[in-house]
Amino acid sequence: MTVTELRNLIHIGVGPELEYVEPLSDKVLNVFPETLIARWLRATRKLEQAGYGQVVVRRYVRHSVAVAEIVSPLAAINLADAVSTVAIKAGIACAEALPRVAEDAANHLKEDQLYISWMGIVVRFAALAPESMSALLDRMDYLLDSLSVSRLEAWVFAGLRASGGDVVRRQRFFAFDDPEAERWLQRESGEVIFSDLEMRLRYYLDALWGFRNPLREPPINAPKQARRRSSFDRGVIRLPTSYPGYRGVQAEDLYRAAVAHIGAHMAYSGDRYELAKLKPIQVALVSLIEDARVEQLAMQEFPGLRRLWMRFHIAQATGALTAPSLFARLSRALIDLDFDDVDGFVRKGRELFFDRRAEWGDPTISREIGSLLGNDLGQMRVQFNARTYVVEPPYRDDNLGLWNFDDEHQEDTLEAEQLFDSVRIEQQEDETETPDREREEIEERPEDDRKRANVENVEIDGIPVARYPEYDHETGRERPEWTTVVEYPPTVGETSSIDDFLDRRSDIVHRISNLISSARVSRHQRVRRQQEGEFLDIDACIEAVVSRRIGDTPDQRIYGRWERRNRDLSVLVLLDVSESTNDRVLSGTETVLELERNATALLAHAMAGLGDPFAVAAFCSDRRESVHYYRIKEFDGEYDALAKAYLAGLQGGYSTRIGAAMRHAGSELARRLTHRKLLLVVSDGEPSDIDVSDPEYLVEDARKAVQTLSQMGVDVFCVGLDSGGDSYLHRIFGRRNVVQIDRLEALPERLPMLYLRLTA
Amino acid sequence: MPAPLIFSTMSEAITDRGKPGSMTVASLLTEMAVIIMELDAYRIEDEPYYEAVGNEISQFKAAWASRMPIMLKGPTGCGKTRFIEHMAWKLQRPLITVSCHEDMTASDLVGRYLLDAEGTIWHDGPLTLAVRYGAICYLDEIVEARQDTTVVIHSLTDDRRILPLEKKNEVIRAHADFQLVISYNPGYQSVLKDLKESTKQRFGAIDFGYPDAGLEAEIVEHESEVDAAVAATLVKIAERSRNLRGHGLEEGASTRMLIHAGKLIRHGVPLGEACEVALVLPITDDPDIREALNSAIAACA
Repeated sequence: MTVTELRNLIHIGVGPELEYVEPLSDKVLNVFPETLIARWLRATRKLEQAGYGQVVVRRYVRHSVAVAEIVSPLAAINLADAVSTVAIKAGIACAEALPRVAEDAANHLKEDQLYISWMGIVVRFAALAPESMSALLDRMDYLLDSLSVSRLEAWVFAGLRASGGDVVRRQRFFAFDDPEAERWLQRESGEVIFSDLEMRLRYYLDALWGFRNPLREPPINAPKQARRRSSFDRGVIRLPTSYPGYRGVQAEDLYRAAVAHIGAHMAYSGDRYELAKLKPIQVALVSLIEDARVEQLAMQEFPGLRRLWMRFHIAQATGALTAPSLFARLSRALIDLDFDDVDGFVRKGRELFFDRRAEWGDPTISREIGSLLGNDLGQMRVQFNARTYVVEPPYRDDNLGLWNFDDEHQEDTLEAEQLFDSVRIEQQEDETETPDREREEIEERPEDDRKRANVENVEIDGIPVARYPEYDHETGRERPEWTTVVEYPPTVGETSSIDDFLDRRSDIVHRISNLISSARVSRHQRVRRQQEGEFLDIDACIEAVVSRRIGDTPDQRIYGRWERRNRDLSVLVLLDVSESTNDRVLSGTETVLELERNATALLAHAMAGLGDPFAVAAFCSDRRESVHYYRIKEFDGEYDALAKAYLAGLQGGYSTRIGAAMRHAGSELARRLTHRKLLLVVSDGEPSDIDVSDPEYLVEDARKAVQTLSQMGVDVFCVGLDSGGDSYLHRIFGRRNVVQIDRLEALPERLPMLYLRLTA
Repeated sequence: MPAPLIFSTMSEAITDRGKPGSMTVASLLTEMAVIIMELDAYRIEDEPYYEAVGNEISQFKAAWASRMPIMLKGPTGCGKTRFIEHMAWKLQRPLITVSCHEDMTASDLVGRYLLDAEGTIWHDGPLTLAVRYGAICYLDEIVEARQDTTVVIHSLTDDRRILPLEKKNEVIRAHADFQLVISYNPGYQSVLKDLKESTKQRFGAIDFGYPDAGLEAEIVEHESEVDAAVAATLVKIAERSRNLRGHGLEEGASTRMLIHAGKLIRHGVPLGEACEVALVLPITDDPDIREALNSAIAACA
């Protein structure tokens, strides 16, 4: 068949509109056998007539040709049915995404049979969990990176089962918001993975070098290259999710070697090298020498590291003189004194390096030696491709942290990390997207945005849930149904900010964990000197007899018993997120709200650890008609990633009508069936609202609210963040129920401790 | 060197001494004589080995000169007890040590009436013994005792220097040589268990840390009789574990643990194993930390 014939076929057999096929005609003819072209055209035509929109058809045409090429023409034709099913079950957007994902999947799977099973999973999934389809498609490439088809299926169904029909939970699972998703994935992929070893590696780094930098995986969307090797940059250490091909003990050793190596860099590498005019090959060599230099220094301190590192140097002194092979041999020659390499370049490198043994403490020698060697390689005409170069042996890091790239900002760890993420994402997009596709995207966007904006508008409206009275101290009476509490869904924020904080303050976290384990009750306690009990308290008995002998009245309480004291309390933490919490703390860079948030994160950590049922809510107010109330964590809910995300998403605004908020929180707490009910209010300022001019009014109302709540059996306790707030806080809560925190920075530490004391 | 007798409770001390039921007034008198003689048993004959880390010896001597109550602070196993033994030897005073625990009552310190066939007899507690006959009374891990117990030392630790025995209707003036020393480990427990402010402020304090690497190696070498290189490696290993203090471990490996490890090594246990037995396993139950520590130990040798 020729292009003309194909064109005729399009016109005669299936219709004139398939103009998208034309530019691909040559390829179509190459890929599809004649017998199948008509079927493929019919499938395309069917998709077009189904009315899923042009984008679906256009993408199907483009990507199905690729699928046909990689897997088989039949698979490509079947793909049309899958696209159609997905469009019906899960919506057009998913159908639009599917063809490209299908091409990626084809690259992973290649075999016809596997590919058909894969499509089966997608189609079934669309019927079972249509709402999570797009999340699944987004991550398909990532999933197929580590899973075979059967394992993918196991993972998908694990997710469906785990959520037990709950749509929200399902969405979170497939969007990887639920940590379970990652855990199951690791189980399915069956390799030693970073998160299993994370704590171990962290302790290892700390023990060896005393560094407590956060260890992180590369972001999910980082390019593949960046996921293969470890990396360190401004305090954050990235380790690959797994080292493919290494299993069991070997993989553990590899991680350990990687961490020890980065620790050596952090201990001995000096300031970053300036890039200046170095060629890529010189950069690579300077890095290599620097690697060897810091390892030598580290081995002087910790001789055992040599054993750990050496086993990964497996380069042989034979083979082609390519740059990667020479580099690997040089690396080995610099650490392994028994390694004998006849190559002149490797020998020269080793001589240069060991001749300057006395100067190993000086980072600049790496640069000198590396540059020299780089010149040599240049003269040897050895090709070096910086783009495909991957550092060997695998435990070594990508050395980006050694160099000063001018275009980077010098930011703090945390910001840098986010920056790093976004940079990586940009790279990713650059890599995969063709200009063609971008144009399509732009065309679609306005519509998308409109839809999204609508959704947000719907969300922003809160639901009025209750009206509460307010106490007017002038008249001494309550105004019934005076305030309206409106519940708003909390905003989802970045949990990383909270995790980073917890990492940074691991000392506090650890201390709290210790306190928790000692406070966690249900331990038997011996109670002595009781009126009645299960055993005689010998000391008391002796004393009683002694008293009788010397003519005193003996004490009757001579028994003792074992008692098990249970914690039986519910806690609701109510956070003030009024406008003033956006102020920065005097001596620091954090805002009051950030401190509140971090403190609550620590507190929640403690409470979750103790197993006390607790809830977290936040409030602010905008006149009496609208007291905003955000439920961050419910009593019934788990303290999980979502609750953390809500906590991280808190924003300050509006005023502080504290009475209404306390009544609302209190009424929820009063319904709890526990012995003790504790309302813990964290507030930074005097109650106020824009429709109230009398400064006494809201203070008195709040006081009344506290009294009402205590009649209902709810203890109210306040943590005041306003050091000048003694007077009114004491008036509202009572002197004994207020703790003032003068040094706000100490709040995160103080709050959980305070809680433990309150509930001890 | 007779080990200083450590009372856990008074009743234990009595069972040690014989059957209390058979006492008569006459035997009470001999008992008193025995007690005075027994104080001699609390004397330390041979010099306990101690390497000064700082000026603690001269500081303690100065405090002793005015019998100032002293608090020894520092992590476990850094040599607090050895130091006080050394000082007691140096000052030629008997040393009465009481290990405090949470069930300890004031009577366990001060003494109590006991019954025998004839009637009730008073029995001095370890603190009272020290006060009466002029010994150094060392209350180890004082925070472990309940707060109502620790207040009995208040009257002894200000210028009154008296110990009222309420039950017996007696006030004892402290012997001129009596000195009170407590040890206090400001660890993580201090949030829930802490000394009352009014107790704390009665004491001068000497802070103990682990000695610096060179000195610590010498101590390990001396006490466990391993060679210098092994001792140095052990100290390096200890530093690894001390890095984790507060970040997974409550406390790093103490000098005492290093000495244990050294002793095992001297009896032929390989270094890695000795460290596992003497350092890693006792210090933590967390498998991740164990693993990390074992790897760090492997890196040190």
